[in-house]
Amino acid sequence: MPWQTQDFAASAPTPVRESPLALAVRRILRKPSSRVAFFVLGVIVLVGLLAPLLAPYNPSAQPDIVRLKDLPPSLAHPFGTDQYSRDVLSRVIYGARLSLMIGVLATIVSLTLGVAYGAIAGYAGGILDAVMMRVLDAFLSIPRLLLLIGALVAWPRLSIGALVVFLGLTGWFGLSRIVRGQVLALKHAEFVTAAQALGASRRRILWRHLLPNIVSPIVVAATLGVAHVIVLEAGLSYLGIGVQPPLASWGNIINDGADQPAALWWMSLFPGLFMVLTVMTLNILGEALRDAYERR
Amino acid sequence: MTAPLLSIRDLHTSFYTESGVARAVDGVSFDIGAGETLGIVGESGCGKSVTALSILRLIQPPGRIETGSVIEFEGKNLVTLDDADIRDIRGNRISMIFQEPMSALNPVFMVGDQVAEVARVHAGMGRRDAWERAVEMLELTGMPDAEARARQYPHQLSGGMRQRVLIAMALMMKPALVIADEPTTALDVTIQAQILDLLLDLQKKIGTSILMITHDLGVIAETASRVIVMYAGEVVEQAEVDELFAKPHHPYTEGLMHSMPHIGHDQERLNVIPGTVPAPTEWPTGCRFRERCPYSWDLCEREHPPLYQIGSGHISRCHLAIEPERRNNPHPPLVVEAGAAAA
Repeated sequence: MPWQTQDFAASAPTPVRESPLALAVRRILRKPSSRVAFFVLGVIVLVGLLAPLLAPYNPSAQPDIVRLKDLPPSLAHPFGTDQYSRDVLSRVIYGARLSLMIGVLATIVSLTLGVAYGAIAGYAGGILDAVMMRVLDAFLSIPRLLLLIGALVAWPRLSIGALVVFLGLTGWFGLSRIVRGQVLALKHAEFVTAAQALGASRRRILWRHLLPNIVSPIVVAATLGVAHVIVLEAGLSYLGIGVQPPLASWGNIINDGADQPAALWWMSLFPGLFMVLTVMTLNILGEALRDAYERR
Repeated sequence: MTAPLLSIRDLHTSFYTESGVARAVDGVSFDIGAGETLGIVGESGCGKSVTALSILRLIQPPGRIETGSVIEFEGKNLVTLDDADIRDIRGNRISMIFQEPMSALNPVFMVGDQVAEVARVHAGMGRRDAWERAVEMLELTGMPDAEARARQYPHQLSGGMRQRVLIAMALMMKPALVIADEPTTALDVTIQAQILDLLLDLQKKIGTSILMITHDLGVIAETASRVIVMYAGEVVEQAEVDELFAKPHHPYTEGLMHSMPHIGHDQERLNVIPGTVPAPTEWPTGCRFRERCPYSWDLCEREHPPLYQIGSGHISRCHLAIEPERRNNPHPPLVVEAGAAAA
């Protein structure tokens, strides 16, 4: 460890405040690929947020189910129309809103459960930790998609809220592993002993001293988690057991065009493109975040 | 001395590891008076840090303080206190300064918040009040531009400034006792003296006692009024600082002093005490220093030496107390340092 040998009083005249978070963000945005990803994702998120202002038509409106159905892309309908004469562009825009919302909300559910479970197991240690980890192993041994398909087939026609809860409930196992490992690694760090020596309680040490130190891996996991949920939701909606029509999500818009993908290519291509872009940019940012904190 | 502030009696702290029970602290007793600076000196592994951590009950499993140990502080036995009560004492009545200021600070918080946290935990202060107190405290430790420095993170400060932060945290509640575990070891030599002066200066202002733990006799000479020498989990010698430097009794103390470099003396090489501290899982029978000692004889193997009274306030765990003439006939120690032939 290098020591600063100059007299402390003479060092750095204007100290600048620089949080570890600010440092990480700066480091990430230095890379052109993550700058592009950040921009693209930002646009998609904005599109989702501003859907009612941006969508040229009502996404569920069926103006003329005979004459306006299955139209290829044109000026009036840049992404074409579907078999019910609905405007695909408007549906993709509203789909962005729904798919992103489901991704973020489900990840918040997973995050809460995963962080709490992992942190408690790691910090408690001993028998409690061992039991909690075996339970987790059991959950982890069942593929997530299988769990979801099973649940959604058993309770068909679920509300969006219930779908979010299911996606969240099945998504925290890996994260809690990560959190537990980090807490385990940090709980004997000297600053933890120092906090104890100053009279901090166990709860305070866990939530105020340990967790803030593992925000980076949690943020990485969350970023990648949102991407994963978006793909899962699309998959489930494509199978017809996720978001139910007439609500538009990327998955069920793709499904609309799935019968004749060659003839009605625009119905599946555009929502698919948006989904791939979103997932790709989330993954690029997640990886960049991981690089940034691992290089510390 | 009037009633001591802290009184340790027969402290045993052991670690139950897979390779056996490590008796890191094995029957230590001593007192610290109010306002006094007591030094504990010894090599790595002699039990001085474990003693310090035991006082605050910061021993983590598989370590534990054995029942029967007594650490009396302000009328309470810290060993048997319940968790909430010991937390009230930590950082409030007894606080600790750690060796490595970078790792003792939480990397993701502003240092001002970390100092303020002490007041929030113990004085129940609000955010703003605690922050103001923290800045005042940092100013008191001589932190330049304290207001701005408080808003920085540990990695932005120099080693000396970080140690000032730790000192501010330790003294925030004006504790009765500060345990300083090698507070200057990790610092640059030019900063070491500043930090020691600062500690002594603040001690005078606040009137706190200091338990100074170090392997550096120079630090002891500068700061302590009384010294305890620890070896292999035991107190081997205790004396007033002047007495100890003038008349070290235990051969281990003698060895420590000889191994200090002296400016002005022509020395080919530094003297070293041959060998290392034995493993705490199996302390040797008889005298634990025997194998490294140039005076040991058969008695030392047969009988574990008690603490002999040498002079007023001076005790030593060495049989030389009863056969002082043996000091004139040193012999090569039983262990010879590998590779380093004794000069």
